[in-house]
Amino acid sequence: MRMDLLTLIVLLPLAGFFLNGLLGPRLGKGFVSVVGCGLPILAFFATLRAFTQLQASDAGALAETAYTWAIVGDFRFEIAFWFDRLSALMTLIVTGVGSLIHIYSTGYMKDDPGYARYFSYLNLFLFFMLLLVLGRSLLVCFVGWEGVGLASYLLIGFWFDDPAKAAAGKKAFITNRIGDAGFLLGMFLIYHALGTLDFDAINAAFNGPVAPAVSASLVGLLLFVGATGKSAQIPLHVWLPDAMAGPTPVSALIHAATMVTAGIYLVARLNGLYLHAPEASQVIAVVGLATAFFAATIAVVQTDIKKVLAYSTVSQLGLMFLALGVGAYGVAVFHVYTHAFFKACLFLGAGSVIHAMSGEQDIRKMGGLAKKIPITFVTFAVATAAIAGIPPLAGFFSKDEILWFAFASEYGGSPVLWALASFSALLTSFYMFRLLWLTFLTPSRMDHEAEHHVHESPVSMTGVLVVLAILSAIGGFFHVYDFLEPVMPMPVENEALEHLKLPLIGIAIAVAFAGLAGAFLVYRGGLATAERLQQRFAGLHRVLSGKYYVDELYEAVLGKPLHWVSEHVFLNVGDRTLIDGSLHGLTSLAQRTAGRLSRVETGNLQFYLLLAVIGVALSLAWMWGNG
Amino acid sequence: MSVETLLLYFFAATSLAGGVLMLVARHPMRVALALISSMLSLGAIYAILGVHVIAVFQVLIYVGAVMVFMVYVIMLLDVRDASFLDRYGRAIVPSVAAAALLAMALGVAVSRGRIITAAELSGLHPGRSPAEFGVQPFSVEFLEGYWLHFELTSVLLLAAVVAAIAVIKAGRRHDG
Amino acid sequence: MDRTQLLLTLSIALFCLGLVGVMIRRNALVMLMCMELMLNGVVLSLVTFAAHSGTLSGAVLVFLVFVVAAAEIGIAIPIVLLLARQRHTLDVGAYSGLKG
Repeated sequence: MRMDLLTLIVLLPLAGFFLNGLLGPRLGKGFVSVVGCGLPILAFFATLRAFTQLQASDAGALAETAYTWAIVGDFRFEIAFWFDRLSALMTLIVTGVGSLIHIYSTGYMKDDPGYARYFSYLNLFLFFMLLLVLGRSLLVCFVGWEGVGLASYLLIGFWFDDPAKAAAGKKAFITNRIGDAGFLLGMFLIYHALGTLDFDAINAAFNGPVAPAVSASLVGLLLFVGATGKSAQIPLHVWLPDAMAGPTPVSALIHAATMVTAGIYLVARLNGLYLHAPEASQVIAVVGLATAFFAATIAVVQTDIKKVLAYSTVSQLGLMFLALGVGAYGVAVFHVYTHAFFKACLFLGAGSVIHAMSGEQDIRKMGGLAKKIPITFVTFAVATAAIAGIPPLAGFFSKDEILWFAFASEYGGSPVLWALASFSALLTSFYMFRLLWLTFLTPSRMDHEAEHHVHESPVSMTGVLVVLAILSAIGGFFHVYDFLEPVMPMPVENEALEHLKLPLIGIAIAVAFAGLAGAFLVYRGGLATAERLQQRFAGLHRVLSGKYYVDELYEAVLGKPLHWVSEHVFLNVGDRTLIDGSLHGLTSLAQRTAGRLSRVETGNLQFYLLLAVIGVALSLAWMWGNG
Repeated sequence: MSVETLLLYFFAATSLAGGVLMLVARHPMRVALALISSMLSLGAIYAILGVHVIAVFQVLIYVGAVMVFMVYVIMLLDVRDASFLDRYGRAIVPSVAAAALLAMALGVAVSRGRIITAAELSGLHPGRSPAEFGVQPFSVEFLEGYWLHFELTSVLLLAAVVAAIAVIKAGRRHDG
Repeated sequence: MDRTQLLLTLSIALFCLGLVGVMIRRNALVMLMCMELMLNGVVLSLVTFAAHSGTLSGAVLVFLVFVVAAAEIGIAIPIVLLLARQRHTLDVGAYSGLKG
């Protein structure tokens, strides 16, 4: 195994996992904090170094083979890493934002007895995520894919004493696995058709002159099923809101900045394939848009601060898939980049609020926190403005590019997509400012108990918030899609619509401010107006708060029949009757046979002698009879 | 039909009759007497055959030691118990049938087989010639050729003596 | 029939009579005596062969069989004595401690 830079980047968090997991409980919180935060920070600096190496070199990418896993016939399965501009960007985000969240966790999880376990799991997650984004082949990517699912399960169900939280962990893992079936099928098809699983080889094969002997759309759809599970799109989105049961930094890292973007990374990485799969791309765009719209509608009526942010994440991911679906791969990655900043800032800010409120998460019981926890308020406000798309913050640039390409891309863009996406953006702005107002700016609805204990979070937490807020503000000026141009080309735009670009930008800005205004008008004085609206649109409100009853649908259509089959077929017939029955049958057969055979042992000497004589006589007769 | 053959038939019948009486008699003493008579007939047969040394040993050892011992024990014990009233065990017919089967098998073997003659036998063991069955030739043959067996049997008798003492001790312990 | 065949037949008959006696009779001492009858049958066949072929080794073997028979009876009878003392009966039907 060669210890090169990329391998080092991947292995540093793994070392953290082992050190914290094995030695952490014995060596105390100081050790765990230093190792747990230090190793990701080291990985970040290693990534910067690799990045400078990449920029300095002429080659499009750095490649490293860490270990040859197996050689089967002609094919070599290798653990290899690939560092091109896309991986560089993703790795920087993962290690950078990841390190910041590790630092935040030292403050947030300070009093938790499972401190060492938390950091070991967090480092484990980082290891798998780096495997995912640095992997050269679908195989290594899949290992990381599964691994982040595992880490997510471990961290969501971190407080496993509460059965509801443990169930949330299970739900996340199982839903992911359903998606992974699609991923595996796609992988098998690609290997069967192309004989290789390396990303660069796959893209070259599909971009090349001869079309491979497999339907690109079929493979694209199967891999998208996997992405649906991991990135919480319809119909496998149900796990993300429940995943809020985990600690808030986990929600920030895994379910906002990194893991859920794995699906987008996969599609963007295989852009060569998807450019030649128009049907699959159309499906991706539609599913993404539908998810964005539905999640935004649900977020409007949520009352838990983390749930609002969870549905917001689902909605933003939908927008990213919309961009991928119309061929704007670089733009989608740009949104991943900006979303990492402002969503992490929002989640960590929510964590700070929950910390200040001594565990309260219901926004109906908050309000008036702006003066009490000013740093949290300011950073939260900046991040809210960013996600709403207020210029010149980061979110404005990335969201605007998505909307433009949804409208004008030659690869499936249409006004319908743009209109619905814009409406979702309006809702996004509305519910985010709703959240800001209800939490910070309206008159206080807090319990007196909680109000007394409200205090600003320690520097380990607020420091990170400030850094992320600054990045949310200025991050948009670095145009990622231009940076990624050599790796993923921009989609062809419809020339005829070029003149509409500026008006569309204007509409986008107007939408952002309209959301702000709407939220201000409705929630300015507190919950009174909202409650009147709720009574007027009671039916709609019921559907939205019931999250369109998707969970109930799944339970009725899938859960109950499976449970029935498990209980009646597998348990009663299969397990009890067949397996237990055959085992009991065998033992009782053995016992009965033994019982009958033991009648030979009468204890009577003469009987034994009789048997012996018969035996002797017969054997003699046989022997002499046969000569 | 010479006298020899007649006597042979007579003593064969006697020993057979003794054997049958053994199966039928109820009192163990009568069984013992039937066995004694059968053994004496056999001794007579050995004498008619000319194997005098063995005939003497049969009477001396078998009848004179073994059967006397047996008679002593019969007189010692209370023999009028359950087995006195009910002579036979459960499986009479199968036992007789099995023994008959065995007898038939053996009989068939004997009738088919061919007994090796002295000449062939001496061919197998050069150096030994047929001799008179007197005590002196017998002793010479025994202690010259079979002295290892002699030693082994003395060990066996020693073991038997030790075992007998051990049994007495065990019996004493049981009684006491 | 010639005398060898007669005596061999007698030997078989004595052996099987003794066998039947051991299998049938219920008294332990009678069983022992029937075993002696079996031994006698075997000895008769040995003597017949020795006389027929004129070899002394047959006689020596017979002598050794006598020795063994004496040793055997010297042990077997005390064992039966002990057994009878313990179970207070000579009936072999009562000696079924190894049943099952």
